[in-house]
Amino acid sequence: MFQFFTLMLKNLRRNILRTSLTALCSMLLVLVVTGVWSVLDFIDRQTEEKANDFKVLVTEKNKAPSRLPRAYVSSLREGAARGPDDVKPEDYMTWAFYGGTLDPNKMTRENFLFLIACEPEKAPTMMDELDQLNAADTARLQDAIAKMKKQANAVIIGPEQLKLMNKKVGERFTVNGLIFKDLNLEFEIVDTFPDAAQRYGQTSLMNLDYLLQGIDEYEAKTKKKIANGADPIAFVMLKVKNKEDYEKLSAQIVNSPLYNSPAVRCESAGSAVSTFLESWQTIFWGMRWLLAPAILGTLSLVIAVAISISVRERRKEIAVMKVLGFTPGHVLTMVLGEALLIGLISGLLSAGGTYLLVNKVLGGIPFPIAWFQRFFIPTNALWWGVAIGAGTSVLGSFLPAWNARGVRVADVFSKVA
Amino acid sequence: MLARISRFDLSRIPQYPVLYGLLAALLALVLILLFVGRVPVSYNVRNLVVRWWITTMMVLAFVLVVGLMTVMLAFVSGMDALTGNSGQPGNIIVFSSGANDEGFSNLALSDVSNLERTQGIAVDEAGQRLASKEVYVIVNQDIPVPKGSPSRRRFVQVRGLEDAPMSAKVHGLELLPGSQWFSEAGVEQTSDGQQVLLQCVMGKGIAGELGLDRPGRQPLAVGEVFRMADREWKVVGLLNSTGSTYDSEVWAKRQIVGERFGKEASYSSFVMRASDIKQAPQLAETLKKSKEVALNAMTEESYFESLSDTSRTLLLAIRIVAGFMALGGIFGVMNTMFAAISQRIKDIGVLRVLGYSRTDVLLSFLMESMILALVGGLLGCLLGSLCDGWTAKSTVGGQGATKTVVLQFLVSQEVLAGGLLLSLLMGLVGGLFPAVRAMWMRILETLR
Amino acid sequence: MAADEEIVRVRNVHKYFTRGSERVDVLQDLSLNVPEGEFLALMGPSGSGKTTLLNLIAGLDVPSEGEIWVGNDRISAMSESQLATWRTRNVGFIFQFYHLLPVLTAYENVELPLLLLPLSSADRKQRVMTALELVELSSRLHHRPGQLSGGQQQRVGIARAIVTDPTLIVADEPTGDLDSRSADEILKLLATLQHELQKTIIMVTHDPKAAERASRTLHLEKGRLVVDTRAPQLK
Repeated sequence: MFQFFTLMLKNLRRNILRTSLTALCSMLLVLVVTGVWSVLDFIDRQTEEKANDFKVLVTEKNKAPSRLPRAYVSSLREGAARGPDDVKPEDYMTWAFYGGTLDPNKMTRENFLFLIACEPEKAPTMMDELDQLNAADTARLQDAIAKMKKQANAVIIGPEQLKLMNKKVGERFTVNGLIFKDLNLEFEIVDTFPDAAQRYGQTSLMNLDYLLQGIDEYEAKTKKKIANGADPIAFVMLKVKNKEDYEKLSAQIVNSPLYNSPAVRCESAGSAVSTFLESWQTIFWGMRWLLAPAILGTLSLVIAVAISISVRERRKEIAVMKVLGFTPGHVLTMVLGEALLIGLISGLLSAGGTYLLVNKVLGGIPFPIAWFQRFFIPTNALWWGVAIGAGTSVLGSFLPAWNARGVRVADVFSKVA
Repeated sequence: MLARISRFDLSRIPQYPVLYGLLAALLALVLILLFVGRVPVSYNVRNLVVRWWITTMMVLAFVLVVGLMTVMLAFVSGMDALTGNSGQPGNIIVFSSGANDEGFSNLALSDVSNLERTQGIAVDEAGQRLASKEVYVIVNQDIPVPKGSPSRRRFVQVRGLEDAPMSAKVHGLELLPGSQWFSEAGVEQTSDGQQVLLQCVMGKGIAGELGLDRPGRQPLAVGEVFRMADREWKVVGLLNSTGSTYDSEVWAKRQIVGERFGKEASYSSFVMRASDIKQAPQLAETLKKSKEVALNAMTEESYFESLSDTSRTLLLAIRIVAGFMALGGIFGVMNTMFAAISQRIKDIGVLRVLGYSRTDVLLSFLMESMILALVGGLLGCLLGSLCDGWTAKSTVGGQGATKTVVLQFLVSQEVLAGGLLLSLLMGLVGGLFPAVRAMWMRILETLR
Repeated sequence: MAADEEIVRVRNVHKYFTRGSERVDVLQDLSLNVPEGEFLALMGPSGSGKTTLLNLIAGLDVPSEGEIWVGNDRISAMSESQLATWRTRNVGFIFQFYHLLPVLTAYENVELPLLLLPLSSADRKQRVMTALELVELSSRLHHRPGQLSGGQQQRVGIARAIVTDPTLIVADEPTGDLDSRSADEILKLLATLQHELQKTIIMVTHDPKAAERASRTLHLEKGRLVVDTRAPQLK
């Protein structure tokens, strides 16, 4: 068996150029498929319904973007529970959005800042992936949150956003409000998100109370109503144990007399994300069912070409092997094995390389769709790489290997070169 | 299929100098190879036929790469056509100050009254000013789901208008035959008098989309009723809006939309046609600098241009993917051509002995890979062209604003040119190194 | 040119290769004249330099030292591209293994060198047909080399060598791959070319029977001429 393996290796070494070209091609195409699948995998995980730790969004029923009056918040945090049998959420987080420009005379993208106004202490438990940070990062995040609790105008800004704004931790700045027009607020940056929280590179958090207080003060001072000031809340996020509780809670809230104007909607976080991604579905469909298969097909074909050529060149040799007693099965295994070897090795190398390149060097695939900015290669991708390499190489080499298996000694030797 | 590009439009060449320049250069190269190379082309063609199995697989690889590229580019070009067709020349769109999009804009009613008196608004044959006062909201529509499945909803873009026929005129749209505009009240009663229906007009794109919820999945037609935001709506008309963002919108009376969706006291936008189309950008600038009201104004064309961020992102992604796939294809071509050359070393020797120059050998082998590329590229373009006219839901958007749209794949001549260019580039780069190697072979060694 | 005028003049030719620091002399101070219309055989053991000499005369290689003239052309001073053009017009090659392009038909193989000359397609056709008739293969025009016997393939090779009406025909072991009957036919054909068309032929061979057909035989050893034998009938 081992000798068979060395034979395959020797065959591959014989035409280093061809082996390298085939391997390079495999690596490039595995890279693309890994990237494509990483995006799809992330999207799938965002929209899937979780069995436990159900996150529920309460939004305005009929309109987008959702605007809820602040009066809704306190009862929604309790899940509109009134009786002892009612389900109470395990956790909550209130979201409002405040955005504006750092320079009203220069409304460029670099100058635009978008902040999530919330209860900062809820971020670690209610925002995805922030509960999976290591001890040091968690401590740092908790520290920053403690600062925010103490200081109303404190903000945490994602590292990428910070770079975009060209600001540092400790600096102060003023935002000229656009979502709440004319509401200009001053902030101080107390920290940035840890690098491990990769998807929060462009996210910024502020105190919800600071926003609400700002609205009140502005209205009191100017005696003018601020646009959207009456219903500043975007949504309330609740956490329940399981699907059953979610359904009960949902009924509780939707049927509650407290929320008539406007009416509210209760949906799982997965559903809400799906709705926002609905208009991207054609693109995702195309990536999943056209792009990835076409690349896999191209890769199989390129491997098929390489293996066909090598079988064609070695017909005489294969005939000699048969004379020496190799069975058609041996020949088939040898040719398939050679392809598989190239496929496996280049698949693994490529996936590993892609993982390092994208996650460590590039800091994610910059593919801004919906509100996602960057995509990262999951650890699973290493297996995808191996699987793609192996799958396409077997697929591509099967016919040529079958041809090689069928080489007839008499035909080869009866022909004069 | 392809009826839209049955004729090659030369006048578009200057708009894409790089694309057409490169393509022309590569096609010229093919001609040079054909007419300057002295080794007969039949020699290459027959060799391709002799190893038909490998040739077929290589051509298939080209077809896959180019076909895929054509489909992806057709999607983006459909998207660009959509934003490109939605703006009317001479139209100026006005938002509240600081807002770059209808979704965030709140124009006070009084501001709009002032705007209506702006100098320089065009008038129609009846002496009416070509101006449109609009509110724009995104409405959640529940999608019926089987019991027990997670709830689903879709975003429907609803535009409320004061004077719908005038708005349509401003946006260059008309009702399709069999349609009518909503009444002055914007509502009607069912024949049994039991229910009040909200009247609306919509694009065919959204009519198809909303029709998907019904058992037969056929598009909504004039006279049909659907449910949205806890009310029954009746389709009284359909718009000839195919190929613009309005195709994905529901239009209704402004009072009805405003009251139901919290925009009773403001407009989202004010759109007006400049009497002198060429002066529109200046007029927009003047409005923007107006001291009386703080506004943001721009030509409609530049507004829709600002919605092309998505298409730019996709185009970039497609180019990167195309680059990688092309590199993969190049390695495949190289494999094939290196093998072809090592099999034909003796042929090369004989040609050289007979007096064919090194250049002749180079051109001949390059020709062979270019033939592969040309055949694969043309077939790929042909296969990819099948997507022309497909409709798909998508998003167009820019800074902070997005619109859900129904777009049509557009296999433009640039898309085909791009596909062909890619395949010829693959053939050239993939064939060049092997051909150079063939060229530098020494006669006496080849014949050994 | 007069019949006994020398068409090939080789003057003090050296040819050596360097292998690492070692110099290998293949031809040493070799001089030779070949009169027009002569059928010359070059014989010698392997490594004696006979094929190298043939390649030099045919313009496939250049000498390290010395001069080679063919007709009025000093080919030892020509550049590679000049040599290529010169070969097309002046030399016809016949190889041991025929070296026909396998994908082209007999007709197309013979036509191949003519594509480099400024001829109309009618001219080309006439010349190809004449050449193929001469080698008695006009009935096999559209056969590919794989469909022809070895002897027939070599005859196509000969037709290709004469189709440009070259000054000189060079043949490297033209019968080396053939059975004796086919070999005999090929040698007869070469002799016919010499007698009837007054072609100058230089043939490398290790087969004494083949050499017998030649009007003169030169023996090489270690890069030098050792024996010069004239065929009895011409002495």
